[in-house]
Amino acid sequence: MNWLRVFFVGGLTSYRALFNWISPWVFFPVLIVYPLFQTLFFAYLGRFADVQSDEFFLVGNTFVAIAVTGFFGMGNAVANERRSQTLAPVLATPASRLALFLGRTLPSIATGFFVAAVSFGLGALILGVDVGGAELARLAVAVIVCSFACTAFGLCLGALGLRGRNVSLFADTISGCLLLASGANVPLERLPDWLRTLGSAVPLMHGIAASRKLAAGESLGDAGHLLLVEAAIGSIYLVLGLVLLRFFEHEGRRTATLETF
Amino acid sequence: MTRAFFSGMRIHVKQFTVNAFDLSAVVLWPILYASIAYYLLDGKNDPELLLSASLGAAVMTMWALVVLGSSGALENQRWLGTLELLVAAPMPFAVALAPITIASGVVGAYSLVATLAWGALLFDVPLSIESPLAFAVAVPMSALAIGMLGLMTAATFVIYRAAFHLGVAMQYPVWIATGLLVPLSVLPAWVGPISWFLAPTWGFRAIRDAALGGPAWTDMGMCALLTVVYFAVAAVCLRVFENFARARATLRLT
Repeated sequence: MNWLRVFFVGGLTSYRALFNWISPWVFFPVLIVYPLFQTLFFAYLGRFADVQSDEFFLVGNTFVAIAVTGFFGMGNAVANERRSQTLAPVLATPASRLALFLGRTLPSIATGFFVAAVSFGLGALILGVDVGGAELARLAVAVIVCSFACTAFGLCLGALGLRGRNVSLFADTISGCLLLASGANVPLERLPDWLRTLGSAVPLMHGIAASRKLAAGESLGDAGHLLLVEAAIGSIYLVLGLVLLRFFEHEGRRTATLETF
Repeated sequence: MTRAFFSGMRIHVKQFTVNAFDLSAVVLWPILYASIAYYLLDGKNDPELLLSASLGAAVMTMWALVVLGSSGALENQRWLGTLELLVAAPMPFAVALAPITIASGVVGAYSLVATLAWGALLFDVPLSIESPLAFAVAVPMSALAIGMLGLMTAATFVIYRAAFHLGVAMQYPVWIATGLLVPLSVLPAWVGPISWFLAPTWGFRAIRDAALGGPAWTDMGMCALLTVVYFAVAAVCLRVFENFARARATLRLT
């Protein structure tokens, strides 16, 4: 019972406090305005370059927004413990680490879903992209899978926060690279092989590819294998994140660096 | 005041130059945006277009650093508890804030080197500068004008608890409205008049015209005019918002 309380209540409370968006006025600029204008920017760039359709950029950048939410949200939900000087007390508690940190992933996945839905809806409205109800329902599945994978990757970034000071640097750099390497804004066939290989090792590329198929009217069966790969990548990062959390907690205790800032 | 201004400039240029987050922004982000533009625009087979995209990506970084640098610096000062001290110091708050925004613009100018080198090495983008003198003047003029636009927007950051989030959100709208990578002709017509009031528009045109040939000095004149206007507006706004924040006692809230 206590495990579940730490998982659900503790997870939500910690996420809200450490992601710094308790007030909607903080949430709105960075998680609604930013991804929306990012979508518009690349859609207009695509129009100028005569490359792909508005739908291509709308889908791609909606999923980049999920990545930003997962990387920063989950990363900060762990790493900001150091900034708020609560890391040592949290790690001194006898609570299950699995419940403690895994509980923070659920709000992150939910946030990713919400941000994707709002960004996609507003972007489609402004760009005049029409996607049917059945396609939207299938896209929702892809959004959940990608939110999970990105949150799992964010857990790895958060684990680094038990060792280093600036998780945002990693989150910012990797989410920036995904603008290019995930195929969100450049068709994969235009990218060099090494960049595609790099992009396929982190979440998003397969999720975006699946979503474009789903938005084009293909069934979940047709795009399912890509979503399975995305889920598998997310699962690997989830396990890696939990291992890293355990490792860096041990190292932090051993070297007495949990409170350094 | 002059000493405070130049000391501030020196300190903030040093800080931005050794901060890993800012350095990654100077080197990585312009390369990313330029690369996306190269891959998308490659089919047009227009070397001048690719050079223009390099310059546009560099000016994008200048604005990003200014708006993120000023909002981030203010938010950090809130967290460190030094914002109140800065506001209470016996000099106009603008003198403390202007070095942050101008230093960001100056450091952002480094990104020109990153994008031009990246474009030349990997994408065979030509590196010919039509008017080196105009180019050498246009870069600092643009950095100054964009820094002053940052100062004006930073006035609102004083009353906003999570200034950095607002700074993050202000990047793309300005990038779109100033035609840095996407020409204004592709955008709705009403965006054009907005761009006239934004320094990155004229800064980019000045740098691009100096590199490719064009009325760079006229563009620099607009940069100079906007710099003066921005400073006047920022000085008034800062005074008003500073009083507002003092009255509501919100300077310390994080």
